[in-house]
Amino acid sequence: MFATGAARLASKRLLEIRQVFRQSPQTSRSLSTALNYHLDSPDNNPDMPWEFSEKNKEKAKEILSHYPSNYKQSAVIPLLDLAQQQHGGWLPVSAMNAVAKVIEVAPIRVYEVATFYSMFNRAKVGKYHLLVCGTTPCMIRGSRDIEDALLKHLGVKRNGELIAARYRSCEVTKDGMFSVGEMECMGSCVNAPMIAVADYSNGSEGYTYNYYEDLTPERVVEIVEMFRKGEIPPVGTQNKKRIMSGPEDGNTSLLSDPKPPPCRDLNAC
Amino acid sequence: MGFALIALRRASRSSTSVFNRLSSSSPASISRVLPSSYRWIVSTPELQNPEAATATTTTPQPTQPELIHPPRNPVGGARVHFPNPDDAIEVFVDGFPVKIPKGMTVLQACEIAGVDIPRFCYHSRLSIAGNCRMCLVEVEKSPKPVASCAMPALPGMKIKTDTPIAKKAREGVMEFLLMNHPLDCPICDQGGECDLQDQSMAFGSDRGRFTDVKRSVVDKNLGPLVKTVMTRCIQCTRCVRFATEVAGVQDLGMLGRGSGEEIGTYVEKLMTSELSGNVIDICPVGALTSKPFAFKARNWELKGTETIDVTDAVGSNIRIDSRGPEVMRIIPRLNEDINEEWISDKTRFCYDGLKRQRLNDPMIRGPDGRFKSVSWRDALAIVAEVVHNVKPEEIVGVAGKLSDAESMMMLKDFLNKLGSNNVWCEGTAAQPCADLRSGFLMNSSIGGLEKADAFLLVGTQPRVEAAMVNARIRKTVKANQAKVGYIGPPADLNYDHQHLGTTPQTLLEIAEGRHPFCSTLLSAKNPAIIVGAGLFERMDKDAIFSAVETIAKLGKVVRPDWNGLNVLLLNAAQAAALDLGLVPETENSIESAKFLYLMGADDVNLDKLPGDAFVVYQGHHGDKSVYRANVILPASAFSEKEGIYENTEGCAQQTLPAVPTVGDARDDWKIIRALSEVSGIQLPYDSLGAVRSRIRNVAPNLLHVDERESATFSHVVKPEFCQKISMTPFTSAVENFYMTDSITRASKIMAQCSASLLSKK
Amino acid sequence: MLGALTKIGKSALNGIKEKGIGGFFKELKQDGFVRCLPDGNLLQTKIHNIGATLVGVDKFGNKYYEKLENVQYGRHRWVEYGEKTRYNASQVPPEWHGWLHYITDHTGDELLMLKPQRYGVDHKQNFSGEGDEYIYHSKGHALNPGQKDWTRYQKWKPTQP
Repeated sequence: MFATGAARLASKRLLEIRQVFRQSPQTSRSLSTALNYHLDSPDNNPDMPWEFSEKNKEKAKEILSHYPSNYKQSAVIPLLDLAQQQHGGWLPVSAMNAVAKVIEVAPIRVYEVATFYSMFNRAKVGKYHLLVCGTTPCMIRGSRDIEDALLKHLGVKRNGELIAARYRSCEVTKDGMFSVGEMECMGSCVNAPMIAVADYSNGSEGYTYNYYEDLTPERVVEIVEMFRKGEIPPVGTQNKKRIMSGPEDGNTSLLSDPKPPPCRDLNAC
Repeated sequence: MGFALIALRRASRSSTSVFNRLSSSSPASISRVLPSSYRWIVSTPELQNPEAATATTTTPQPTQPELIHPPRNPVGGARVHFPNPDDAIEVFVDGFPVKIPKGMTVLQACEIAGVDIPRFCYHSRLSIAGNCRMCLVEVEKSPKPVASCAMPALPGMKIKTDTPIAKKAREGVMEFLLMNHPLDCPICDQGGECDLQDQSMAFGSDRGRFTDVKRSVVDKNLGPLVKTVMTRCIQCTRCVRFATEVAGVQDLGMLGRGSGEEIGTYVEKLMTSELSGNVIDICPVGALTSKPFAFKARNWELKGTETIDVTDAVGSNIRIDSRGPEVMRIIPRLNEDINEEWISDKTRFCYDGLKRQRLNDPMIRGPDGRFKSVSWRDALAIVAEVVHNVKPEEIVGVAGKLSDAESMMMLKDFLNKLGSNNVWCEGTAAQPCADLRSGFLMNSSIGGLEKADAFLLVGTQPRVEAAMVNARIRKTVKANQAKVGYIGPPADLNYDHQHLGTTPQTLLEIAEGRHPFCSTLLSAKNPAIIVGAGLFERMDKDAIFSAVETIAKLGKVVRPDWNGLNVLLLNAAQAAALDLGLVPETENSIESAKFLYLMGADDVNLDKLPGDAFVVYQGHHGDKSVYRANVILPASAFSEKEGIYENTEGCAQQTLPAVPTVGDARDDWKIIRALSEVSGIQLPYDSLGAVRSRIRNVAPNLLHVDERESATFSHVVKPEFCQKISMTPFTSAVENFYMTDSITRASKIMAQCSASLLSKK
Repeated sequence: MLGALTKIGKSALNGIKEKGIGGFFKELKQDGFVRCLPDGNLLQTKIHNIGATLVGVDKFGNKYYEKLENVQYGRHRWVEYGEKTRYNASQVPPEWHGWLHYITDHTGDELLMLKPQRYGVDHKQNFSGEGDEYIYHSKGHALNPGQKDWTRYQKWKPTQP
């Protein structure tokens, strides 16, 4: 009796395991924006000439001056960032080669850094790159809905899901204005859900990277439409009742003046 | 559950120390609910119990700590070298005290104590990465297990390598490593010699808890030598560090992050290094394997023969792995003084040349100009007949670049008996000074180059002429910031160097002290000058050598404690040939030769040879010279015979037969011995031992196998000369790194390499 | 023991009643009772089977028995091969192997569910010694007819004059 019961339980468990295996691997969401290797394409190949603009050359020199002359390679991240701003939000392989030349290291050392950080885009993005926070607090507050609203409104696919089988990248809207990516926690959990908007429409001079917080699916569509019209929506929380990250309708606690910190009696010792 | 409880009660009653410590420090109720099979993870008990900790520190134990293990021998014969005896510190490995020099890591200390720590990313010749975490050990008073490869050993450290914590930690690491590792050992070429396989036998579980989908990575194309299966990669970064640090080609990198991390070149790029084959050896898993060897054999089917390499003058120590009568692969052997544990790609992958274009039957050229196979008797009879019909001064012998010392000795004795002394070895045709060994040897020795802090390369490109010497120079440049000056044609040296000039003019400037590089040489503590043996072919070689000697005098390169005046030879036979005195009497003897005996000499220029000259080719490959031969005598290759070779630093080494020879081929010395008998001037050597006792009279150093015999006299006793330096630029001695001799020219893999890799450069 | 024997007698009588004497003997032969006479192993297995529970039958006709009482622990599971004449251990398919060797308590029928359907091949017994076509010979082996022309090296051919 006991044996048959156990056997039935076991077979049930085995069936469950089998069910898990049967499920498609689609359940895991890929977070990478691009492949970890380069594929030549007309707008991204090592033969493409790429150089810092005159203004940015000055900036690069300034950045390099922050580091000792024998540790030039430390400037790789700021220089890559500069190059990305100059190139409309993404880094073609020739831009990385140019950075490698400036800091006098082998190109592979720059590729290593550029592939490591998800904020370096190695494939084309829109003028406004919208980064939806997908980490737990935002997700609980509905970041998936925000994302869905964005994707539906713009008619693009999420990053990581193959669009062109060859070049895996974020899909950019047809007018080249917007692309949607996913980002991990950007530290605005108190105003979740939020998106970050990287604005590459004005080159590296007018580059901004702003947070839009306390979003609703409706509000995020409004924000996108404002960008499309060339307006800049108010940065920060979109909940009119809140000031910065304060609570709705004003503070409710810590209303009195804070107590002074306890001071050690210096004479006592 | 009830069973577990009973077992637990019984266990806690019987006083196992772990239980007692635990139950004294943690609530008993917690320990009760754990099943008996649970492996305890306790941090060091002293930390949990402050009284105990103070007790142990205040009262040092009067007796020696109890020896858990008997003293063991160091792993792999690891040697301890104390540069400064005062810096020795004592650590305890599993309770066993060992003395180690300061600055060693915990892992090295354990190795000296005879405990082999499992590791993937740590490699003694590469920088420390500490990213595989397999080498975790427990160190007393440390709250967590420490990665022993990256942790410097401190005095009095108590290292525990086989405690439950260490084992549990390694098991955890192993489980993570196996999470994304494919279970394709049966079709993996590393199977049987895989570090991951071996260590998972000790620390792996027979089942994983990972139910997600395994990661897969796109394979990379690294060229015709290295096959990649990147899904098997465990990201130890050994190959990245090897390429960056040893090979000097910064092509490989670690791309991406997290579980998407992969090794790659990012852009499509082949690994254009002459040492790229070594990543196959250092890869602990089957991610990088040998492309020519792929799916050819399993390593347990192979018979290893420890021998040496003859494709360049370095004499790298190798192991020829053979299956039956076939050479399956060549892998390096450790020799700290010569090749450390690397070998060049030419050494590693030339073996398929041993199976192609082989001469297996004696052949004679008939009147119609076609070769036909004959018996040894007939072939030797014809040679003997011809040899008696030419004048002694018209007899010329040339030994090839792959000849061993014994056969060269025989050839010289044979021709001397015939009355001719026109015998030389390829690369020694232009009468270099063979009297003083210091004039043709690498006097500072290959390992000794590491002490140098300034290099002057004259007419030599070590990267193509002797890749292992180049690796040594690169190591020195990296470690000592040694300065390198280079005179010669534009070259691709993989370290920082100044290209001083292309003609001997620069050399003269340095000799006269007018060149800016002089100050570098003068300020150097141990300057080294390396002269290429390609200069032997120049007409003004004596003048150039004297200029070099002037520089040596200027820079105090030759001192009693340091001899930095080096010659880098080109072929394996050269040093032994010069030791045995194989230099021609007259420079253009080949133009008047009527009888030419080629012992594997394929790079000798036969254009000036008279049309009616009789050419005997004795060798193992149908290469260049065979087409001019009248008689072909098949000989055995270096993998099939026993022979002594002297490398460029003067170290005599011995090859051993790994496979039987092909067809009717015979050892070189036996052929000459037989020929001498047929021609009626029998040489009195009937065995290899007899030939060697003859060598002992001529050059006894050749018999001191595996010992480096340095030159005794230096250049001060050199005779006068009257030559003028010509201003023709230096030329490169080796055109194609991958194809330098008859074996490598017959090799398909080498042909692929020169097609795909050299064109990219 | 006696009770068991009487039970067997009764079931035999029942069998004869149901199938007639001819059918009964045919079944006896099929079940290997005839084979028991020259083959002591089979006889012993048959005797062992008395009072044991039949856990399962695989598709090769191997019958898996278990008996938990009055039997030494570790000998409480066994198989009666479907093949009565040339049986060997490799006829047990992998799904039953674990149960039979006390590796798992899941019976083969349960484990069969875990067998991959796309690439799981059918079990085959080990055919070593069952004929030359089943034996692996390395290349160059005298018994490997197709590959005798293999040479270990390629000799130089004097093509140019």
